[in-house]
Amino acid sequence: MKIEDISKDTERLVELKKEDFMELPFPYNDKGSEPDIKELTDEQKRTLEATLDGICAIGMKKPESKEEEKELIKKFLSGLGKLLTPENNWTFLMPLHHSLEYCVKCQICNDYCPIYVASGKNEIYRPTYRSEVLRRIVDKYIKKKGKLRLKISGGDIELNWPLIARLGELAYRCTLCRRCAMACPLGVDNGLIAHEIRKLFSQELGIAPKELHELGTVQQLRVGSSTGITPKALSNIIQFMEDDIEEKTGRRIKIPVDKEGAEILLIHNAGEFLSWPENTEAFAILFDIAGIDWTLSSELAGYDAVNYGVWYDDVQLARVATRHVEIAKKLKVKKINVGECGHAHKAMIVVADRVLVGEMNIPRESSIPLLRDLVFSGKLKLNPQRNNFPVTLHDPCNMVRLMGIVNPQREILRKICPDFREMEPHGVDNYCCGGGSGFAIMQSMNFPDWRSSVSGRMKLKQILEVFKDVISPDIKKYVCAPCSNCKGQIRDLFNHFKVNERCGIFYGGLVELIVNALEDLKKPFIEWEWH
Amino acid sequence: MSIFLAILTYFAYVFIVLMYGIKLAKYVRMPTHLRWELYPVIHEEKLSYGGSYLEERNWWEKARKKRPFKGFFSLLKDYFTLSDYARRNFLYWIGLYPWHIGFILIITFHILCFFGAILIKWGIDVSPQSTDALGAFFYYLTLIAGVSSFVLGILGGIIVMLNRIFSRSLREFATRVNYFTYFFTIVVFFTGFYSWFFEDPYLTEYRHFWVGLISLDFRDVSLWTKIHIVVFDLFLIYLPFTRSLHYVTRFLAFFLIRWDDEPNLTGGKLEEKIRAQLERDVSWSAPHIIGKGKKWRELAGSNP
Repeated sequence: MKIEDISKDTERLVELKKEDFMELPFPYNDKGSEPDIKELTDEQKRTLEATLDGICAIGMKKPESKEEEKELIKKFLSGLGKLLTPENNWTFLMPLHHSLEYCVKCQICNDYCPIYVASGKNEIYRPTYRSEVLRRIVDKYIKKKGKLRLKISGGDIELNWPLIARLGELAYRCTLCRRCAMACPLGVDNGLIAHEIRKLFSQELGIAPKELHELGTVQQLRVGSSTGITPKALSNIIQFMEDDIEEKTGRRIKIPVDKEGAEILLIHNAGEFLSWPENTEAFAILFDIAGIDWTLSSELAGYDAVNYGVWYDDVQLARVATRHVEIAKKLKVKKINVGECGHAHKAMIVVADRVLVGEMNIPRESSIPLLRDLVFSGKLKLNPQRNNFPVTLHDPCNMVRLMGIVNPQREILRKICPDFREMEPHGVDNYCCGGGSGFAIMQSMNFPDWRSSVSGRMKLKQILEVFKDVISPDIKKYVCAPCSNCKGQIRDLFNHFKVNERCGIFYGGLVELIVNALEDLKKPFIEWEWH
Repeated sequence: MSIFLAILTYFAYVFIVLMYGIKLAKYVRMPTHLRWELYPVIHEEKLSYGGSYLEERNWWEKARKKRPFKGFFSLLKDYFTLSDYARRNFLYWIGLYPWHIGFILIITFHILCFFGAILIKWGIDVSPQSTDALGAFFYYLTLIAGVSSFVLGILGGIIVMLNRIFSRSLREFATRVNYFTYFFTIVVFFTGFYSWFFEDPYLTEYRHFWVGLISLDFRDVSLWTKIHIVVFDLFLIYLPFTRSLHYVTRFLAFFLIRWDDEPNLTGGKLEEKIRAQLERDVSWSAPHIIGKGKKWRELAGSNP
């Protein structure tokens, strides 16, 4: 596979074969029994762009005429130009410039990419492949290096619609985990280049996966949450949570909502309310016992910490971050505390830090150190024996490698889980769950199959290896993933491979384990019900 | 010929300094960007496991203990070991290491020739027979730096080129320019080696050439020394057109991007810079933005 092959007018650039994929440990060491990646329907193939690898992540429509194609190429080039200007891209110009200009193509980063390795080292999934394509387009069409110079240098590439469509898809074959960047001795960041390609498509061509844009940031700002939960629906959910807490613990807790002047505004990923309400309930239980002055918000977007903009669009990132702090300001809280959601941590605490100025710069922090302090405060009567089952920790990339929140969650687990075991590698060297950068919520067409078979494969391998001595389905095991998107991905991954049935592995958050360890709880908080 | 050689050398040095200066100025003058750090961050107290100050509650109220020189010395050390490469791809490192050390030494060699020339102008004899310890020291140091650079440079250049040719993953991404650069460096080191081995075993001619350069009393040198000087000068002129500035930009990338964990605190200098960025005009044209005529600040506060 040559770099310039990406421009070829073929039906598919590469064929994915499961025989090529990385081997998995027992009981998944027979690739033949592994589910296949579904083929797109004929109608989908006819109308949507999937000529990269037969997978459709974005749902990009094929241009209907040559004129439309030309217009899209023109827009792509205009967007690429903007990406390289301080006016339009002050947000990432320096990192982008560095990564485009100073890669020496040593390929060291490739083996650090879980997608490239898990795919069986498919050429197009190299972190360097999409970067080199973009670099050559910049050289030829933006820097306008002459034909002769490009011929002599050997870095020519033909910009056409197949290339653009494939490059767009290729930007969604990277989870932005930035493990490749960590490996680069020169500070080049190929993950960032994937991020910038996504931005170019969204901010200039208006093309992005609908789960991230239309149903993501746009819906969040209009309706209140990317899940579709409206403020009214939230009120019902909170009522349900209070009833559920009473049923589980025997205690009636009033969950504070829109409490003006509270010390903490706690914002969860709203996916927790729908899919894992036990997580938000566990926070409420602990905060109530500890006597913390906190509140939730029922304002539009105030109850959903997600900020998908961080993955594909700087303008949407800024809009959502601004909305979050406006709500905190209105409530006159002292700080915002982010629940168990990795990308929300990264977006709200770190990336948006350089968007918010003056009175908008309200202090923002992670909930994990607060939980650590609570566990060690003596305010909670904890009995580790209640968590006497094998537990491992999945490190969300956004929280760990990208923010440096590494140890508090480990301190907690070491204290409350007698059989806590680390995956290898872990901490800042961790592997992504395979659902990073929006993948976990992208459910269209055959992308979920690819996500489970390829991008999540390395995580599955790690989980199976850490539990290999207790792999029998009769022994209950727990993967602690303090991140909603990671949990979503692990759920889908486990469903795809039937991991719960075949190996007895369950997943959940961190806070549930803390509540499960509470001494005076009549029945276990963790119910081991697959959902 | 001696005047031509001198003019070419002056030009080559001025050119590379100017071109590198322009490139670096362009780099550092780029606007403050959003935070995009990667852990471990070298100046962090919790470096051993990659932790950050964000592991603390109310982190904004606490004084941050940074170790500003740790990063500098760590990167500097890596220049001489390339340990990241050794750890991650030993085979690649086997060629890369002598090649890079060859570069470092050839630059050191020319710097030593320059300072040796100054010593000579001060009346200090720079030779093995010198009664002045400094003169003898400079002589031996220059000789060692020069000869080692030629030998290591040739060896490393050949290995990295072969690596690029025979490793599939490296070959696919290589362009003709990459091979030309390898070949050019081998020629640079080889001409130096040849002139030392066959014409100037004590490498005194370079020093005398430099004496001529600093005193404007240009002297002729033997054929292969001349060839090496021309080739080296051309190489200096060629370098700014390659990715060679990564020697320096690596420092910038680590300090200004990978380890840039500076929080934006209210009333701080960083906040001022961000305010300025938010006043920039936007021209992204996707339907949900339609930025033309709007500023970043306005877009951030809007809802499409």
